[in-house]
Amino acid sequence: MKTVDLKKLQTAANRLCFDMSEEEYQTLLNEFRTITKQMELIAEDKTIDQYEPMIYPFPCVINDLRDDEPINPSNRDEILKNAQNKLAGQIKVKKVNG
Amino acid sequence: MNYLDLTIKEIHEALVNKQVTPLELVNEALKRAKEDKCNAFEYIMEKEALSLAKTLTEPEKDNLLWGIPFAIKDNISTKGVPTCASSDILKGYVPIYNATIIEKLLKKKAIPFAKVTLDELAMGGTGATGHLGKTTNPYDVSHERMVGGSSCGSAAVVSSAIVPFALGSDTGDSIRKPASYAGLVGFKPTWGRISRYGLFPFTPSLDSLGFFTRSVYDSALILNIVAGYDKNDFTSSREKVDDYTSDLNKPIKGIKIAVIKEILESVSDPYIQKKFQETLKIYEELGAKINYVSVNHHLLKTLFPTYYIISCAEATSNNANLDGVKFGLNLEGNTFNDSLIKTRSEGFSERIKRRFVIGSYSLMAENQNELYLRATKNRHKIVDEINKVLKDNDVIFLPASPSVAPKFDNKIDQLEDEYLIADNYMVIANFAGLPSITIPTGFVNDLPFGFNLTASAFAEKKLFNIAKALEDKLGYYNLSARTKK
Repeated sequence: MKTVDLKKLQTAANRLCFDMSEEEYQTLLNEFRTITKQMELIAEDKTIDQYEPMIYPFPCVINDLRDDEPINPSNRDEILKNAQNKLAGQIKVKKVNG
Repeated sequence: MNYLDLTIKEIHEALVNKQVTPLELVNEALKRAKEDKCNAFEYIMEKEALSLAKTLTEPEKDNLLWGIPFAIKDNISTKGVPTCASSDILKGYVPIYNATIIEKLLKKKAIPFAKVTLDELAMGGTGATGHLGKTTNPYDVSHERMVGGSSCGSAAVVSSAIVPFALGSDTGDSIRKPASYAGLVGFKPTWGRISRYGLFPFTPSLDSLGFFTRSVYDSALILNIVAGYDKNDFTSSREKVDDYTSDLNKPIKGIKIAVIKEILESVSDPYIQKKFQETLKIYEELGAKINYVSVNHHLLKTLFPTYYIISCAEATSNNANLDGVKFGLNLEGNTFNDSLIKTRSEGFSERIKRRFVIGSYSLMAENQNELYLRATKNRHKIVDEINKVLKDNDVIFLPASPSVAPKFDNKIDQLEDEYLIADNYMVIANFAGLPSITIPTGFVNDLPFGFNLTASAFAEKKLFNIAKALEDKLGYYNLSARTKK
């Protein structure tokens, strides 16, 4: 198993758009050490690559299309009630580039 | 005794005979909810419940859910009612639609009474990680013991007899383990049997909606109403919906019950072991055949890491939409990114952030083979083994937890068999999408514990039948911490 270092975890947290404190990273590193030991149990199984990855417990086969029925879309005002910043019937966000 | 201390079926009889009204039930539930000491509530729907109850004046004889108040885990969408999944990231969020399961229950004129606590975003098994703090076990007056999670509030309110049933969700054992700690019937159906439209996704490949009740009959009854295909959930099943109450009292002679030796051996509590053997004898007396089967011990030790990697990976992706822009917490920043980082840093607890990092790390191209893909391959191997057991048997039967409800400060070794196997094996039903039920089977020092039954996919009718046979024999029916029967 590859070793996990602090830098790799910081990269992952940055990609997820949140900050963590030094102490939180240390807890995470310790957690990773336990997970690595647990995952090594699977790595010890030499037959594991004979199995296909299982995503869903049963096949989700959809072989028909929904009818093309008109539906009532969600109400704009109701949706906007949940947004804190809005302008002229739209959700307003800060400029993307600083 | 109050009517809320009865099961759904019994309350229905009282409603039909006009011994009690829906309004009286709601008023009593409100009184009890306000006395709650377990920290089980996110939002009590006082106005909404009273208003609906006042409209229900003519009992419907054939509709057993008419006028019955129920609680809802707060990760299930309820139109116009605050829903935050016990997380600060969803502070102030009010859904604009009902989950399909809520629509079906409303159609039957059941009364949504309260939104109840959970481990934050349903990620956890202690009931201690929601933003309001710990939800405690109603059987423990010192409030030092957990009721389990993640469906902690749902278990607490049914066990406290505030409502006769509550909705929960189950990704690893989030209904079935709390049911054991709270002396309740806890049921999860076959994956896809109940529409998940409106359930906040945690791990969609494992998530199921289900419920807590105080009898097996009540569980079967609710499934009759909420099961079925839903065009809003493409993973919901088109398999025919049965009458799940029709075979409840059928003799179980000839039924084959599998006991997985390696899982049973990982339970160290001698009293639970003794009680389990006594229960097997009861099944034998009823004509069932007990088959001890073996599943590779090493494979069973991999159940928890397999679950953890898969669930963290799916969770990190499914919660990427929690950015504070469209709903929930929104903290000001100089730029869009600044605001996003502030919101997500404050909105998620440390524990949730750790899970997301683990998930994201497992999905990175350079780590995927060793972590996420290896876990999904191992899931396949586990499912093949479990389905082999169920090919020759009707159910798998085992203790639902290795002990009664532990204290919150209980220390565990995460590399020991009792944790890796006995405490986490029920995830096999999520891996394989199988229906599974926990029923109460005993007490140690006034604290309840339960045993679990798991059947083949879509064999809910048989599962309820085998569970009810044991419930009848043991007499652990309609338990609550309030009546302490």
